[in-house]
Formats: sequence, C-alpha cells, structure tokens
Amino acid sequence: MTIRNTLRDHGQRYRPRMACLKKTEKVLLEMQDPKTGVRSQPQRLVITTIPHAITGEDIIAWLADRFQVDTQEARTFGSMLVALGYIYPLQDHKRLVIKPDVSLYRFQTPYFWPTQQWPVEDTDYAIYLAKRNIRKKGILELHEQEHYNRLHKWMNHKWDFIVMQAKEQYRAAKERKKPDRVVFDCQERAYWVVHRPPPGTVSAMDYGLDRLTDPNSDEAKTPDFYERIMIFTQQSIMRPRVKSSVSIGALVKYCGTYNNHDPFLFKCLPSNPWLTDDVTYWNLNMPCVEIPTKMRVERWTFSFAELLSDPRGRDDFRLFLKKEFSGENLAFWEGCEDLKWGEAATIKEKAEHIYKTFLARGAPRWINIDGKTMEVTVKGLKHPHRYVLDPAQTHIYMLMKKDSYGRYQKSPVFKDTVKKAICPEEHNFSVAQLEQNAKKRRPSLSPIILRQMEKEQRAKMAANVDITQLCRFTTPIPHLAVYSGITDFPTATTSPSLTFLAHTPACPSPISVALDSTSASERRVEAGGGEGEGNPAARAPVCGNVSKSRMALSLRRLLKRGCTPATMFASLSPKCHSAAGTSSRIQPISPDQPSQPPPRRIGNFFQIKVDIPPECRIYPIESEDEEEESRSASRGGVGAKEIICPWESLTPQNGTG
Amino acid sequence: MPLVNNKVGNDCTVSADKALVDEKALVDSLIKVVACYRHLASCVGGCTDSLQLRDELRQTREKAQMLAVVIRDHLTSHLRNKRLPEVQRKEMEIHWVAFSSSLELLHVDMCKVFYIGDIFSSANTDTLVKTGIQGGGSEVAARALSLPDLNQAQSPTLPAGLESQERTTMEQEISQIDHMIDDMEMKVNVMRWMVEPHGPQYAEPLSSTDSASLALLSVDEEQPGHQPLCQRSQIFVLLLLFAVVLVAATLSICIVFFS
Repeated sequence: MTIRNTLRDHGQRYRPRMACLKKTEKVLLEMQDPKTGVRSQPQRLVITTIPHAITGEDIIAWLADRFQVDTQEARTFGSMLVALGYIYPLQDHKRLVIKPDVSLYRFQTPYFWPTQQWPVEDTDYAIYLAKRNIRKKGILELHEQEHYNRLHKWMNHKWDFIVMQAKEQYRAAKERKKPDRVVFDCQERAYWVVHRPPPGTVSAMDYGLDRLTDPNSDEAKTPDFYERIMIFTQQSIMRPRVKSSVSIGALVKYCGTYNNHDPFLFKCLPSNPWLTDDVTYWNLNMPCVEIPTKMRVERWTFSFAELLSDPRGRDDFRLFLKKEFSGENLAFWEGCEDLKWGEAATIKEKAEHIYKTFLARGAPRWINIDGKTMEVTVKGLKHPHRYVLDPAQTHIYMLMKKDSYGRYQKSPVFKDTVKKAICPEEHNFSVAQLEQNAKKRRPSLSPIILRQMEKEQRAKMAANVDITQLCRFTTPIPHLAVYSGITDFPTATTSPSLTFLAHTPACPSPISVALDSTSASERRVEAGGGEGEGNPAARAPVCGNVSKSRMALSLRRLLKRGCTPATMFASLSPKCHSAAGTSSRIQPISPDQPSQPPPRRIGNFFQIKVDIPPECRIYPIESEDEEEESRSASRGGVGAKEIICPWESLTPQNGTG
Repeated sequence: MPLVNNKVGNDCTVSADKALVDEKALVDSLIKVVACYRHLASCVGGCTDSLQLRDELRQTREKAQMLAVVIRDHLTSHLRNKRLPEVQRKEMEIHWVAFSSSLELLHVDMCKVFYIGDIFSSANTDTLVKTGIQGGGSEVAARALSLPDLNQAQSPTLPAGLESQERTTMEQEISQIDHMIDDMEMKVNVMRWMVEPHGPQYAEPLSSTDSASLALLSVDEEQPGHQPLCQRSQIFVLLLLFAVVLVAATLSICIVFFS
C-alpha cells in the first residue's frame, strides 16, 4: 500500500531507500522497554507535568551500554537519532543535536516518524504554517513566511481548503487536554524542523534527488522481470573468478602501497587543508605545477595508470617519449581518451582526425599496432562510435606500459624529476593561527576558469607537437612540421629512419605484406624512381596499398636519411591486389611518366594523393575527390601528402553516401 | 430561446443554490472529520494506543467515508450537468478541490494508521512509544462524530480474531478511497489551475484566550531552565506575603486585645 502522491507528474518523486531508518526504528522500540529501556521522568511545567521526558545523558548512557561503544560514539549516534527526527529536544528545538547533560528530550510519535514510504507533503506543511499563523497571530519566522508565500502561490487553488483544514485541526486540538495539546504541538513542530529545516542548518534527511521508481513497490512478476533475473545470473556464472587469496593479496598490497599517501590515514605534507584551512597542499599539487612533490613522484612509480592519470606525470612521460621519439603512442592514447570521453557530436571528426594522424599509412605520426587490430579498427572506423579505437588504444597502452614505462623509470628525465622534487615541511599551526586560517578561507577557482585553463593548455600542447617520430613509411615532408605547427624541419630524421627500419613489425600487417610484394608497375617505379632521384619534383607512382613509399624526396634529404629512394621504394613496393583485396588505384605523380597505368576507380582501400606544392603551406587534411587528385597529381613535385580515409574514398567512387 | 432558458435557469439557480449550501456543509463536515482523524492517528503507536483508540479511529473513518460517498455523488452529478451557470460551477469546483484534497489527506492518514497499527499491536504495550500523551482521543472522536459525548461506558473489546478482520476491512477501505479518487478524476474534469479561492491568505486568528494559554505553555517550555527558579521565587514571594499577613494579623489582634 503506497501513499498516493498528489502531484501525478510521473516523474522522479520517490524517496530513495534510506536503510538507516528501519534500523533506527528497531533501536527506538528497544528504548521503550519499561525495564531495559531508557529511564524517563516527568517534565514539570508551570501548570502541569508531562511525563516521558528523557535526559540527554540517559540516552547516551543507554546507547553506550546497549552497543558497547564509548561515550563519544554513543553521542554521535544519539545526535543522529535526533537529526532524523525520532527523538526531539524540548529545549532549543531548532538544534538537532544531543547534549550530554540534563537537557530534556522526548520520543516522537510514530505518526511523525520519517519512515521510508511516507513522503513529506507540501500540503501538510501549508496546513501547519496556517495553524501556526492562527496560534501566533500572524507571526511566522522569516523562512516560514517565505515558504508560506511560495506555497500560497503554487497551491492557490487549494488555499480555501488549507485554511479551513488548519482551522478545523486547531479546533479539534482544543478538544484535547492542555498537556496533550502542548505535546502534540511540540511533536508537530519537531517534525517540521526535521523536514523543512531553517536555512543554514544541515538536514539529516537530505537524500539528494528523488528516484524514478518506487523502492517500496513490489516489482510485477512479468516474463521480462524473470528474463532479467536469468540474464543476470547467467552473467554472474560466466564472470571470471579469482581466488580469494589472490584478490586479498592484491588488496593488502594496495593498502600497503597507498597507506602513506592517504590523507585520512597518514599525515599529509605540509598540512591537510581540510583540517588547517591552509591551501599550500593544493597549490603544490596543482595539475600543471613545475616542480612536483616527492610524494607525487613516488606515486608515479606505483603503476603506469597512476603516472598517466596525473597530468604532471603525463607531462614528464611525454617529455621522455619525445626524447625517445615514440611520443606518438602517448598522443594516440590521449586522442583515444578524448574520443571516448568527448562530446558525441565530435566523435566522427575526431575519429577521422586520429585515423589520419596515427593510423593511416603515411600518417605523420604512425603508430605501430599489429595487423589484426589495425584491420578491426579500420573496419570499425567506417561507423565510428566512442569505443571504436579501444582495441588499438589497449594495444598501445600495454606497449607503453611494458616497454616505455620501465625505461622511463630508469631514464635521466625521471631521475632529474625525482632529484628536483620538493618535500615541503610540515606546518605547525597554533590554535590562534588555525582560527586565523579559518577566517581567511576563500573559495577556490571557479570550475569554468579551470576548464578554460585546461583548454588553453591543450591547445598549446597541440600546437607544440613536434613530429619527430617519422616512421619509414611516413612521408618525409619538409612541411610536415608546418602541419604540426612548427616551421623547422626536424633534423633528427636520420636516426629515426634507421631505427625504424630496424623495427620490423612482428606481425604481418597490410603494410608489411605490401612491402614484400612487387609488381610490374613497381619495376617501372624503380626506374622512375631512379629517374626521379635527380628530379626534386619527382614522384613515384602510387599503387593501391602502399603509399608512403611513393613519396619523392629531394636527393639531399634522401641521402640524409641514409637510404636510397630506389631501394626503399623497391622494398616497399606493394602488391597491387593484396591484403585489402581491392583494386588499386595508381596515381600518376609526375607528368614525365605517362606509362603508368591509369587510375582505376573501383573501391580503394588506401589512397594516397601526393600533392607537391613547391612552397611551404599548411598541410591540408581533407577528403579530396578524384578531380582534385588528378589535378594535384598533374602538378608534380614534392609536397604534402593527403591522406584519405577509406570510407571517404568510397563516396565519390561508388556514388554511395 | 431566452424565455425557456430563463425559466430553466431560474429553477436551476434555485436548486443549485440550495445544493451549493448543502454541499458546503457536507464538505465542511468532511474537513472536520478528516482533521479529527488526523489527531487520532497521531496517537497510534504511542502510549495511549489502545483498543479504544482503534475503535474511535474506525468510527471516525466510517463517518468520513459515508460523507465522502454522499459528497461524491452530489458533486459528480452537479458538475456533469452542463447547464450549470458559471457562478455555481465555480463554487462547485472549489468544493470539488476541497473534497479531493480531503480525500487525499484521509487516504494518507489511513495508510499510516494501517502501517503503524501493524507494527504496534495494542496487545503488547511494552513497545508502545512513550510520547508523553496522557489522555485519549475520545473528545476528538466525539467532535468528529458530532456526538455531544461519546459514551465510553461500553469499552469495545474486540476479540483477538476480529483484529485481523479489522485489518482486512481497513485494507478494503483504503483501496476503496483509492478507487474513489481515481474515479473522480476520470469522471469530472476540473482544471485546478482555473480554480480561484475566496478566502484570505492568512487565516484569522481564532479566540485569543486559547492562543494565549498555549503561548504561555510554549514559553514555559522554551525556558525550562528558569522553571525551578521561577517556582522557587514564587514560593518565596508567597511565603513572604503570608508572613506579612500573619504579622499584620497578630498586630491587629494585639491592638484589639490591649486596647
């Protein structure tokens, strides 16, 4: 049986379950026992006496005895009983705490208990205020006055009823004996102090938002209900289980590791701001602080996740990776996080951007993931959603964790950070100083400002990205740096190329497959490549699946890279109809190689358009159509490469959407 | 047809007026009964909970339901009458709102009584909450039932078996009220936001003496620290007065005696 709610709004209007209420009620009933319960005494007023008053100290003593706890805890428990409204104070009725002296309290009648399924109605409050108004001849407290006016406005249609009901209740109360009337008034007043607390007080009945479903109602046993139970139990059975020794061992290890870092359990340097009102601790541990604290740096060594989740740690790690030229891993990981947690409207473009920057062949910051993951990812990217890059992200994360993290901890970057980390001294505030601090409390920065700062930081970082990590497949474009925002061409490309050559992917990937294959056109490419060597604007024809190899370089740069383009192209020449199984499209790159096969328009897997502007320009990444491709192809010369996502290429070709 | 209308209108208005007056009386009495029921309900589970109280509750409840049924029939029939003039309709709507609100309050109280009655059976008095109430609700029940004096000579002792029957009847009644409220909403469409009440925002204070006494009591309550002192000072003053009177009396006797 539920209380009918008069709002009929079908919205969130159910009080959430408050488990403490049922338990408190049991305790209350125990307290009533004439033999073992709390001792009661009569309250003497001028005219009469009212029985069943209990003193604060009696309550606390009883609680301490019943639950075998110390006085302080019993006092807290007693205060909770008062705050919830099961016991009300007779003196100082607005402060809902228990005082361990002879101040008097009384039990609240069960009608006014805050039991779970009885919501507190505004109508009742309006009636109560009207009654108080009658009694006190129009003098209500300020907040009550405000409530009254507000209710009058919102429940205007019922106002006649409310006033009448208030009068009738008042008259009915007069029929009772005086002491009973007093007691009833006290009870009602206490009830409303709990449920409509005066402003500035904290209410124990503050339960947050209302719920959509009624926690007290029985769920109808429909087939759906049973199906849900079945699914739940099946999943529980299928869940992987861990031996308790293992899981408990892990818990113990966790507790041991983090014990000193927990401000609740250990002292926090310089001082805990919540205790001393001194914000030095927060200032020293800002997300983007120059010099971190020793404790913070120590936390980075606990696990890779800790390092990444701390922005300062991530910065440090990024610096290390930059020195190691594997920063694209972290950048990719961050891009994936951004995709996962960002807005839904931007998912598509973010996914495209990430693909073009990290995953596609010839991508400026190509990451090394295995073929299967790459396949799955690219397939998923046709219909991007939040978690489409999850497999790749996990792969990269594990890569970083197993490989880079260990080296980071031994690296000079980290050692330097550790050396520079500060260990602040503990504050020793006197009582007077603590009071001073409390007075000087100021609110922290608004979250809007913080978010803006974060955004600026991110933009600055994006602008500063230094793409030094070029893989051997990447176009060594002179303007690659322009794309990323820096105009100086990374001169360290020599070493990366060598190192990258050494990094043969362990698992077969379309690229490696492509590498191994040759084709007739490639031989031509070779020839063309030889020709093109001397021609700074030379280009090799691109054949379907391999794009990066076709980038023409200036001879100087080629030599710098330490490998001849011819051999490179040869080794990287693709099989035209390989992994993707789609026909390739050959792009005529330079006009002096007309013998190349004409471009085929059937569905491509990869398509690299080589655009060779002689001058510096911003790297355009946008999907081009064939017209542009051919146009730019005819231009010739070394220049920026435009990566087209496979799903985009399908559009102009197949005419599908 | 104005003439016909007028005639019908006149008849209508006359009967409607009478109906209005009747209904107002009925609704007022329902409000009164609901108020009394609330007072009685607040005693359930407390130290004065007894079979007598439960019986009073039952009687009050039955009266309320009887009134509710009558009012509902009246109001429904009148409000569905399309030819009701506007003024009367507005009045009826106000009554309607009052009626539905009273029913809802009654429903809430009945549910609470049912639930508490479940937990605190009047047989086991150990666990009854010591609320400080001393008297029963007989006077309130008498007011509710409009009886000058509730004859408490025959204390209704329900045999144990009937208690469960009592519970089932209560359940039925609660669901009945439920249905009634639902029914009402279905049958008559009263737009609550269109209803404008007559009454003042603040209820006029009733007779001053009672409020004064209550105020006195509450003042006393709020400063109990002073109580012993007051009592002692009062006793002291009384003693002093007594002593002075005594002295005056002895002096006068002496004067009379010696003069």
